[in-house]
Amino acid sequence: MDTTAKRIVKVLILFCILLGSLVLYLSYFEIFVVAKIQDNPYNKRQWMREEYVLRGSILDRNEKVLASSIKQDKQQIRNYPFKNLYSHVIGYSFKEYGKTAIEKNYNNQLLGIGNSPLTKVKDKIMGSDNMGNNVVLTIDHTLQKNADELLRGKKGSIVLMNPKTGEIYAMVSKPDFDPNTMRDDWQDIIENKESPLINRATTGLYTPGSVFKMITATSVMENNSNQNYFCEGKTNIGGYVLKDYHSIAHGNVDLEKALIYSCNVAFSQMGIELGEEKLKSTAQKYMFDKQIPFDIMSKKSIFSEEVKMTKTELGVSAIGQGKVLVTPLNMAMVASTIANDGNMMKPFLVKEIINSKNRIIKMQPPKILSHVTNKENANKLRDIMIQVVEVGTGKKAKIKNVRVAGKTGTAENGSDKEHAWFIGFAPANDPKVAIAVVLENEGKTGGTSAAPIAREILKNALNRVQ
Amino acid sequence: MFNFLSLIFRYIFIMMIYLFIFGIMRMIYLDISSMKAIIGNHPYLKLINRKDQLPFKVKEVYVLDKETTIGRKNGNEIVIKDPYISNDHVKFYVKEEGVFIEDIDSANGTCLNEERIIDMVMLRNGDRIKIGQVEFLYVDY
Amino acid sequence: MMKKFLMNKMPQTLLVFVNILSMFLLYFYKERFDKSILISVILLVATIYISNYILLKISSGDHYLFLVVSMLSSIGIIMIYRLNPVYGFRQIIWFGVGIVFYFIFYFCVKRIKGWKKWLNGYFIISMILFVVTQVLGTKIKGATNWIRIGGIGIQPSEIIKIIFVFYLASYYTNYTKKANEKYKFLGVVYSYIAFLFIQRDLGTAMIFCFVFFIILYIYEEDRKLIYYQIIGGLIIGIVSSFLIHHVQVRFIAWFNPWEYIEKEGYQITQSLFAIGAGGFFGTGIGLGHPEFIPEVHTDFIFSAICEEMGIFGGIAVIMLFLILVYRGFKIALNQYDKFFKIVAIGITTTLGFQAFIIVGGVIKMIPLTGVTLPFVSYGGSSLVASFAALGILQVASEEIQMEQEEGDGYNS
Repeated sequence: MDTTAKRIVKVLILFCILLGSLVLYLSYFEIFVVAKIQDNPYNKRQWMREEYVLRGSILDRNEKVLASSIKQDKQQIRNYPFKNLYSHVIGYSFKEYGKTAIEKNYNNQLLGIGNSPLTKVKDKIMGSDNMGNNVVLTIDHTLQKNADELLRGKKGSIVLMNPKTGEIYAMVSKPDFDPNTMRDDWQDIIENKESPLINRATTGLYTPGSVFKMITATSVMENNSNQNYFCEGKTNIGGYVLKDYHSIAHGNVDLEKALIYSCNVAFSQMGIELGEEKLKSTAQKYMFDKQIPFDIMSKKSIFSEEVKMTKTELGVSAIGQGKVLVTPLNMAMVASTIANDGNMMKPFLVKEIINSKNRIIKMQPPKILSHVTNKENANKLRDIMIQVVEVGTGKKAKIKNVRVAGKTGTAENGSDKEHAWFIGFAPANDPKVAIAVVLENEGKTGGTSAAPIAREILKNALNRVQ
Repeated sequence: MFNFLSLIFRYIFIMMIYLFIFGIMRMIYLDISSMKAIIGNHPYLKLINRKDQLPFKVKEVYVLDKETTIGRKNGNEIVIKDPYISNDHVKFYVKEEGVFIEDIDSANGTCLNEERIIDMVMLRNGDRIKIGQVEFLYVDY
Repeated sequence: MMKKFLMNKMPQTLLVFVNILSMFLLYFYKERFDKSILISVILLVATIYISNYILLKISSGDHYLFLVVSMLSSIGIIMIYRLNPVYGFRQIIWFGVGIVFYFIFYFCVKRIKGWKKWLNGYFIISMILFVVTQVLGTKIKGATNWIRIGGIGIQPSEIIKIIFVFYLASYYTNYTKKANEKYKFLGVVYSYIAFLFIQRDLGTAMIFCFVFFIILYIYEEDRKLIYYQIIGGLIIGIVSSFLIHHVQVRFIAWFNPWEYIEKEGYQITQSLFAIGAGGFFGTGIGLGHPEFIPEVHTDFIFSAICEEMGIFGGIAVIMLFLILVYRGFKIALNQYDKFFKIVAIGITTTLGFQAFIIVGGVIKMIPLTGVTLPFVSYGGSSLVASFAALGILQVASEEIQMEQEEGDGYNS
């Protein structure tokens, strides 16, 4: 072949490479990129689908309708009959403002996207009379309403769950908003200083205060660390003076006594004796510093950042102050873990997905998320928590004829008003429900403000949940 | 109705377009495989007729060796089953001075550029050689 | 025998089937009874079949090219018809006109001698066309490359593409080693590209550059010159991407369209959504929403094909272009006449590269430049010019006759 022919062949090869690269890029795009871009709000196709598919309903565990869509002259209207009550659990779905919570994470199911290919083809042939799937939540509407009423006028959050399965029975975050009137209220909502759009139950990060002592206590038991300390009412850790409530000296205390009276001095010493490594490892078993897999967006609870703690920080962290931050959901899971023999269940909000003909398409089975401690330790901690309610700081959570286990917390934070905490479960010998209550900047102790709320809900819950 | 048709047709369309591509590629492949014979600087014969208009097998290109015979009978270097071609029809010689063609007493004869050849003739690039119904172009490089 | 007949006739048969089936499908589209569709399908199938038949009779050259191109045009017409039946019908008319031009160019280029001698003629004609465009041109999509004559918009750059290829071929056929001749040649080439830049027809400018580089690579004896040209071209490209606004915009839209989604990146992201919506087999014709993409029937026809016929449909289009390019270079390899050899390379490169930059552009592999997808996109000028180019390529594929006649020409 002469040089011209050789060069022509080379140019031909160049063209093969150019056009071949188009094929490769196109395949790469289809396989790896498409999934990431398809739900961009500028992609009008998803809204097209929303126009002809009747968005599915969202139901509570007893199939009470919590959100539904109706067609009105070619347009769909989303109706939330309980207004503010589910603003954080169900969220909202608007073209202008996007979607949140269940409406967002279960959008595909609600629109019937991603059903089996066969039903998809069938749908297409049948044309436009399309129905999305319904989402059944683990929420119990009565308990949700109850929790909402008890939190009315306050700021904070309540999470009520089944400790043995991880089902969420109620999840309230205050303040909230009414998704029905969002179009009119949008400006007010986003300008509100109290941030009603934030779901405090899963993304609110609070200083835990004494409820964190459950974690320190677990770590002490797990590591067979020293359980006996002497409390003078205050202690000096590396130049920082840490006081007990009203500087009461508890004298000689063991782990049980320290928990019952919520002794800061003893617990900070426990933390220092344990060391950062061990305490952190237990906290991480409780899902601190880790993303909790959940049906709606949640944030990580924070035990420590990567930097090494000073002795002061460690002592303060051990009593749930300092840089430790938790979500109410996580604390409900801590209570559940102790109630469930030391196994933490994966929390979930969506029980099952049913199609428009009431057939179950998908169910969410309970799953163990983390083995935190053994049954023996869990039972010991439970017995101490019973004492906390019987004789300690949590007396106001006592229920007649039912043994309640609990732990209170009064968390100092940046402002001069403390967060009030209560976590617990009941009945103590065979736990059916676990709870976490936090009242943001309540300025009262957990025992006086959070415990009575928890008591009401636990009492009602035990009547409803078999 | 339209939806249903469209869904079925999308597979049929793609299948047909690919079959089409396959068909074209097959034709090109046959074309190339007959071209493959050209190696180095051998003189060769190139078919002028359209291949699919001839009712017998014939290649696009035949490379000429030192001595190459064309005929209908098996045993010739180049066998073409054209009824108008004799059992042993024509012979090519590749020599230092050039390439020569000689008709070996064929019934219908051999035409070089529309003229019937009698003797051994030297070929020039671009000559047309007609044997039976088949017409070749002689290429000299 | 029967099998062989079927195999050899298979592509034509399939082509006819695709057309009939698709028109049958479109007949049901949106449940409107439209007589024009019946006329269209008959017209289209008849045109393709008869042209192919005539071609087999009169041309001893390549007979794959026409089939491949008919398939591409058919896919285009189906898509355009589905997007807008009025445009679809017009496209069929343009297809017919294109075929007429195909035969006109085929005969003219074949019969008329002396194409290789009119070096200056090509230059003068193209410069006149450029100036006319500049003066009479209307601005569409930021590019001044249209002139209106009697209600029909014409894009002169489509014709200049062919003339440019003739110019290059003519230069290298009559090539002497005089230095000043070479500088004049380079000057002319750059004046072409400069004109296109002024008219903001970046896509066509890129095609001209590429064709120029390819021909230079194959025929230029001063090998260093080639590297200078390529380096120079790249530098100009990079500098202009920073300095000239309308080049910059395209780079921005390419680099991160998501950030500028409401403006610069809108078109390209809509195209990506469309391609994504199609998946591998597409939504089915008429069931997707390619109409969300602006300019979908011209520049973005490939995205529409990907949405409704799937990635496989898109890949098929690319493969058809690959066959087209392959045949084009094969023709160039087999052609003895230097002028037509270069013409074959030039035309093939033009068509192939144009397909590459627009497909690459709409899938965001390279920056988007607004050119049509040859034979597929809606547009009279583009379709007719592409068919004219194909007619010339058909002449170039007929080696024997050319050589004979050229020989005679020289003797007399």
